[in-house]
Amino acid sequence: MIRLGPARRARELRLREESPLRRVDPRVKLALSLGASLAVMLPLNRLVFFMGLYALLLLWARLIDEAATQVWRLKWILILLFLLDWVVIGLDLAVIITLRLVLLAGTFTVFFSTTTPGELRLALEWLRVPHRYAFSVSLAFQSIGLLDDEWRSIREAQQSRGAWAPPRMAEGWRGFRPSGLVAQVRELVALSVPAVVLAVKHAWAMNEAACARGFDSPRRRPYRRLTMNRLDWLLLGGALATGVALVWVRL
Amino acid sequence: MILEAEVGLGSAVSAEQVTYGYFGTGGGALTGVSLAVAPGEIVLITGPSGSGKSTLARCLTGLIPHLYHGEMKGVCSVDGLSTVETPLWELADRAGLVFQNPSEQLLATSVEEEIVFGLENLGLAAGEIRARLDEALARFGLLEMRRRSPQTLSGGEQQKLALAAMTARRAPVLVLDEPLSMLDTTAATELVAHLTQLARSGTAVVLCEHRAEYLENIPGVRVLKMGEQVLDTDGLLAAPFQSRAGGPSCLTVTGLGVRLAGHRVLHDLTFEVPAGQVLSIVGRNGVGKTTLLRALTGLQSHEGTVLVDGDRPGLGMVFQNADLQLFNATVREEILYRLPEPDMELYGWLLQALGLGSYEQMPPLLLSEGEKKRVALATVLMRGPRHGLLLDEPAVGQDAAHKRMLITILRALANAGQIVIITTHDLTLAAQADRLLLLGPQGFVADGPVARVLEDHAAWERLGLVVPDWVRPDRDGDASGVWR
Repeated sequence: MIRLGPARRARELRLREESPLRRVDPRVKLALSLGASLAVMLPLNRLVFFMGLYALLLLWARLIDEAATQVWRLKWILILLFLLDWVVIGLDLAVIITLRLVLLAGTFTVFFSTTTPGELRLALEWLRVPHRYAFSVSLAFQSIGLLDDEWRSIREAQQSRGAWAPPRMAEGWRGFRPSGLVAQVRELVALSVPAVVLAVKHAWAMNEAACARGFDSPRRRPYRRLTMNRLDWLLLGGALATGVALVWVRL
Repeated sequence: MILEAEVGLGSAVSAEQVTYGYFGTGGGALTGVSLAVAPGEIVLITGPSGSGKSTLARCLTGLIPHLYHGEMKGVCSVDGLSTVETPLWELADRAGLVFQNPSEQLLATSVEEEIVFGLENLGLAAGEIRARLDEALARFGLLEMRRRSPQTLSGGEQQKLALAAMTARRAPVLVLDEPLSMLDTTAATELVAHLTQLARSGTAVVLCEHRAEYLENIPGVRVLKMGEQVLDTDGLLAAPFQSRAGGPSCLTVTGLGVRLAGHRVLHDLTFEVPAGQVLSIVGRNGVGKTTLLRALTGLQSHEGTVLVDGDRPGLGMVFQNADLQLFNATVREEILYRLPEPDMELYGWLLQALGLGSYEQMPPLLLSEGEKKRVALATVLMRGPRHGLLLDEPAVGQDAAHKRMLITILRALANAGQIVIITTHDLTLAAQADRLLLLGPQGFVADGPVARVLEDHAAWERLGLVVPDWVRPDRDGDASGVWR
C-alpha cells in the first residue's frame, strides 16, 4: 500500500468567501490596507499596540490564519534580515524593522484574500488607471496562483522523460544518475526554459484571445460599476480616520 | 496554393494570393492562398501539421499583420474591410477567432464575466449586454455554471464557453483553429451542431481542423485541403527496439484511488496490462485519465498498489503539453540529452519514423504542437523506459499519416515486450489499439478487445459518449484484455 502524501494544498489564489470583507467594496479594502500600512512610521511601542488592534480587525474578518500564512511564507527572509540588522546595527532596530515587514505582509491580506481580479480591475479603473493597464494587472494577479502548478507540472514532465529525476524515478532509466553542482545547474536549466517559454506563450495566447474579442476598443462601456453601501462607508471612514491619526501621531 | 479561386464581392471573408512568413523564420508559413467564404457557409480547411492552417486563421481575422510582424503579401478582407488598413478592434467586431486550447483563451474569473468581456468592448448598453449574456448562457447550456471559474470547467465546457463568448458578439464571420482537438466525441459533436446552427443563422464559419471526419459528411460543408501529406517513410527499416530481457512482464494495479483537493477523482481501480499489449483508455473530459497515468508513473500520490512483476514500475510518459518536457537548443540535443552512449541506430530510425529529419538542428520549442509532441516521444523512447510507455492525448495536433505512424511505433514497442498505454479522445486512434478501457466517474465502465467494447452501446451510453459512425477497429479484436 502506497501511503497518501500530505494532501496537496490548492495554492491557487483562494478567495475567503466566509469573510465579512468579501462583499465590501474593493476601493474600501484598498484604503484599509493602505491606511494600515502607514503604521510602519510608528515607534516600537505604538507599532506593537497598532498591530494588536489590526489583529482584532483580522479576527473579525476571519482572516487571521491567512495573514499568519502570508507572514510564515516570508519566515526565512524575516529571520535573515533580523539577524543581519541585529549584528550590523542593533537589537532594537532589528525588532522594529522585522515588525514593520510583518505588518506590511499582513495588511494587504485584507485586500488580496477577499478581492477577485475583476474587482481589482474595477478599483484600478475608478482610480483612473487606463483600462489596458488595469486589465493587465488583473490578469497578472489572476495568474499568480497558476505559477506553482505550472512549476510542478514541468518538474513532473521532466522526470517522466528521464531528463532528471529523484532517486526513485532514476531507477527506471538507463545511464542516468544526477549528482553534483553541474547536474544541479542542468536541472535548473531544464526547469527554467519551459517555465519562461510557457509564461511567454500563455501571455501571448491571452493577448491574442483578448484582441480577438475587441480589446482596446475605444467604444468600450463597462457593464459593472462599483457602488458603496453603509458598511463600505463605515469602513472607509475608519480607514481614513486611521490614516489621518497615524500621520498626526507621527508628526 | 489556391484553395478557392473565386474571390467574390459578396464574400463575408476572403483571402487573395496571401503569402506570409513569420519574423525571423526566413520561410513561408503560407504561400499564395486564395479563399472566399460566403455568409451562412461552413468551410472546413484540412491539411497536415505545419501546412499553415493556424497562420491562415490569423490572417483571416487580422491578428496577422496587427500582432505579428512578419512579411505579408496579398489581401485579406472581412466584411469588405481590408485586414491591413482596419484597426484590429474594428475587425474583431466582424470576425471572431476561437483557438485550439480553450484554457489559454479564457481571461476572466467567472463564466459570466468571460462572456461580458467581449460585449463590453462592443460598447453595448448594460441592458443589451444582460440580454445577450443570458441568451449565450442558455444556448450553450452554461446557465448553471455562470458563477464558476472557467479554470474549473472541463475541456469541453471551456471550449463551449469560448464559443459562447465569441458568438455573443454576433460577428458575421467565425474562424476556429482546431477547436475539436481536445474534446471528447460528445463535446465535439455538440460543438459541430452549434456551428451548423450558427451557419444557418447567416454566420460564415471557417474551421481549420485535423479531425475532419466530424464535418465531412454534413451537407453543405465545403472541404478545402492545404498542403501535401509529407511523411517520408520510404526504406524505413523495422523498429530497432531491443526486446526486453527476462520474459514477459505485467502491470498490476490494485485498488488504485486518488483524491485531489478533497474530491475523489479515481476510485478503487483494479486492472492488469500485460506487456505486448497496446491499451487505449477513453473517457469524458475531466474524468481523471491524466491523473490515472500520473498515478501509474508514481507522480501522483494514491491509494492502492501499482506494480510490475511485484516491483515498482519504470514507465516513461509523454505529456499532453509537450512544452513542459522540452528545453534544449536543437531537436538533436533534446533527443540525445545526457545519454552517455546513445543508440544512434534507434536515433536515426526515430527521426525518420517521426518525420523529424528536417528539423534536427531546429529549436524544438519553435516547432508546431504536433511536431513538439513527436520530439517529446523520441526523447522518452531514446532513454528506453524499463517497463513501458504512457502517452497522454498523443493524437492532438497530429495529422492522419503521423497518427498511423504513431500506432506503428507503439505496436513495435509492444512487440519488444513493453507495456503501452494511451489516453485519448480520438476514437480513430483508440480503435487501433489491442484493448479498450472505458473510464467513467465511478470507475471502469467497459474493458476488453476494441471491437467488442465499441459494440457495447450500453457502456458508451453510461459514459455519456457517442461513437461516431466512422470509428472502426483496425484489428480483429482477437487480443484478449485482462480485466477483473
